[in-house]
Amino acid sequence: MAVIAGRPKRGALLPSRLASLTDSRAGSLAIFIVRRILWMVPVVFFVILITFVLMHLAPGSPWDKNGGRQLSQTVVNNLNARYGLNKPVTEQFWLYLVNVLHFDFGLSYQYEGKTVASLIMTSWPYTVAIGVISFLLIIPVGVGLGVLAALRQNSRVDYITMGFATFAASFPNFVVGALMVVAFSVLMYKATGGNFFLPAAGFGPDDHLVLPVITLSLLPIAFTARLTRASTLDTIRQDFIRTAWAKGLSERLVVVRHILKNSLIPVVTTLGPTFAFLVTGSVIVETLFSIPGIGRSFVVAIESRDYPMILGTTVLFSVIIALANLAVDVAYVFIDPRVRLTE
Amino acid sequence: MRLGTRIRAISLVSAGLFVVSACGGSNTVSQNLAPASQQILRANNGVEPNSFDPTQQTYTYEGAVGRHVFETLLRPKLDNSDVEPAAAKSYDVSTDGLTYTFHLQTNAKWSDGKPVTASDWVYGFKHLLNPALAAGYVDPFFDTTIAGAANYGTIDVSSASAIDAFLNGLGVSAPDANTFVIKLQAPAAYFKWVVTLWQAAPIRKDVVEAAAGGTFASTDTTKAFAWANSATTIIGNGAFKISEIAAKDHVTLVPNPNYWGKAAILQKIILYEISDGNTAYSQYQTGALDMIGVPLADVTVVRNDPVLNKQAKLIPTNSNYWISYNGKKTPLDKADVRMALSKSIDRTKLVNDINHGNGAPMTGFIPKGMSGYDTTDNAQSFDPTAAKALLTKAGVTVADLSKLKLLTRNSTGSKTTNQFLVDQWNTNLGTSIQVDVIDSKTVTSRIRKGQFDIYGLDGWIGDYPDQQDWFDIFQTSACHSLNWGCITIPGYDALITKADGELDQVQRNKDYLTAQKMLIDNAVVGFMFQPYEYDLVKPYVGGLSITTGDDQNLPGDLRWTTAYITAH
Repeated sequence: MAVIAGRPKRGALLPSRLASLTDSRAGSLAIFIVRRILWMVPVVFFVILITFVLMHLAPGSPWDKNGGRQLSQTVVNNLNARYGLNKPVTEQFWLYLVNVLHFDFGLSYQYEGKTVASLIMTSWPYTVAIGVISFLLIIPVGVGLGVLAALRQNSRVDYITMGFATFAASFPNFVVGALMVVAFSVLMYKATGGNFFLPAAGFGPDDHLVLPVITLSLLPIAFTARLTRASTLDTIRQDFIRTAWAKGLSERLVVVRHILKNSLIPVVTTLGPTFAFLVTGSVIVETLFSIPGIGRSFVVAIESRDYPMILGTTVLFSVIIALANLAVDVAYVFIDPRVRLTE
Repeated sequence: MRLGTRIRAISLVSAGLFVVSACGGSNTVSQNLAPASQQILRANNGVEPNSFDPTQQTYTYEGAVGRHVFETLLRPKLDNSDVEPAAAKSYDVSTDGLTYTFHLQTNAKWSDGKPVTASDWVYGFKHLLNPALAAGYVDPFFDTTIAGAANYGTIDVSSASAIDAFLNGLGVSAPDANTFVIKLQAPAAYFKWVVTLWQAAPIRKDVVEAAAGGTFASTDTTKAFAWANSATTIIGNGAFKISEIAAKDHVTLVPNPNYWGKAAILQKIILYEISDGNTAYSQYQTGALDMIGVPLADVTVVRNDPVLNKQAKLIPTNSNYWISYNGKKTPLDKADVRMALSKSIDRTKLVNDINHGNGAPMTGFIPKGMSGYDTTDNAQSFDPTAAKALLTKAGVTVADLSKLKLLTRNSTGSKTTNQFLVDQWNTNLGTSIQVDVIDSKTVTSRIRKGQFDIYGLDGWIGDYPDQQDWFDIFQTSACHSLNWGCITIPGYDALITKADGELDQVQRNKDYLTAQKMLIDNAVVGFMFQPYEYDLVKPYVGGLSITTGDDQNLPGDLRWTTAYITAH
């Protein structure tokens, strides 16, 4: 048997027309992205499979009520027939997969005559609005606090910033949210006679956003600040920084061009998980502040065993998180020239 | 049946060591009315309705919308004593009790201005009873009463011809535009109450078909509901119409300008869907809501707050909570054992300590405020000494009882209450009974299969204030569907069937009283307490006609037309 000497050239299995792509940096990036997107197909398949199995293993049917008189068996049988739940579970699974391939996510069991797609379409703008604003807040504030603390290490600024970060990181968001409602909504309303306070619930493109956004972003800000500080401290001690100072560069140049850029690499790594946190955190924040977003829909769907809605939301979450991680990997290329997109 | 929200009820409903006037308040409109632009009531309905098609609704938070957009033939009087005219100005019952003729209001109009006709009622009832659409309230209220509906559960829902044949065979007809006739399978003295259920609504065929894009087969379960998905196509005959549906946020009701009856004073009712009781409480405190249920955890705070205390209302509900014993398990198959367990719980302590005073202790079945309320049979009253004597008589030891478990739903309210119950047994009888805390959906599937020893608190919120709605629960046929304990009392089923059909109301009441004594004396369940709602209402909300049948945390909602906002 012939001994395979080394790995074949990357892209060797591609048609020759495409193989040339791998020679250029942009080409290999394009191939990397396409590969990663193709990888999402099995990821989504397994997400559906696992969710489907867990969902059907979870006790209770969508028609069970949490107490009192239950629907009669007659009605339950008719409902099962109406939604195809009288078919074997494996057949239900394949039917679902076939429908998903046609971008048909089915009808909600809970909301009469509404498709899962339409329910998601009405709720996503709220989740996206709060998520994007939080994300835009987390990066500058988190990174800014972290760099500031590192540059003024062991000063009062450092202690205050890191004290805040430790404090914020130790509180779960449902506690933070509840405390903020008491402080900035109820107590402030009483103190100012109703003239100045922040609303405790609902959504609006105004002061309604303040409390949910702060609640959602506090923990990621704290986490990012601590990480940035550690990373910056590490960078400051590098030889090339000493060189930069020795060259007589201005503080602004040293900090922005050399320290910040190099300290950000580990921070960028965490942006994927941060994004995932914003998506999953929306579940709690939206319930707490009564915001009609996807997170709240997800909770309601699980509570009522609305199978198509649970699946649709889970698939959406998994695709968003996979895309966020892909975006982070691509961002490396631009931030860190040492990174090569190899397998 | 509306007890689907029982858990929420336990956590939100709350009561008093002192009594706040519940049904008080003058109904004469104050001179000090706020201008029309401020006639807005903002209340918390808690949950988004699953459907805006009234026939499909089952929960109180759905009725809170459906019953205002659609008007039923009859409605309960404020004092629950009888029905009174609504969409029907009068009705006749044939002497054999089998034919109900409803004479409709001649000037009734839909919210788009078209007249309401008897054929709209026929269509509404057929829509409700279409087996393919699987409406939750059909069985047992409508399929066991209306002629031709008895085989509702056996129709092949994939066959349009089978469904059509069934629907055409129903005993509903429109001899003329203003007369709607319903024929029954057998006399049912309670049928006048069944037509007060908001699911028994008229529906416009042309509206349904226009939204569906034309006529459709009776097997089609998507097109049949297309009309109910948009505020513009939800055309009702009620005093209000929907002006806005903001998913998972709020539903806005405005007066129906074409309503035949007295026009509402409120110009807008915004029903918010805030599921977290504490968030709603914050919204009330910051002036964003006018009406909420007080979360159990905040009841004491509200009671001790000089301002909020005056805005609180303690309202009896048409409901009762009890504990169910599994009659198929030893030693719970012995009536003496069940009675001993029932007699060893101090209900006054339960209401005051656990439910913060929001309720009234019960040792009987029918709650206060309904015909049939009776306190003469005290067999289940708190008496640990008598309880121990009963155990001795039954030959059951403490060790036997200690093997039992109290099945408990995994919610704060249920866990707190049930821990109290086992503490009472263990203190008063010397047992070591334990709670078995399980996820709520699993509890439901277990009680359906009879896999429990003792289960509670279970209970009932009446669908309408007639005793039939209550006594049917403990029939043998309801075993594993409502009658979780499946305890059979000889003669009970026959007595209830007789009373349900009895046309002489005096005799009916006598029969139900006998049946109530059977339930109490056999300790079919251990009756615990009648829960009261503890709500906050802003002082500028006036004219509320509060009844025990109001939807949860919406005091006065059965008669929103009398409510108003005063200048503030």
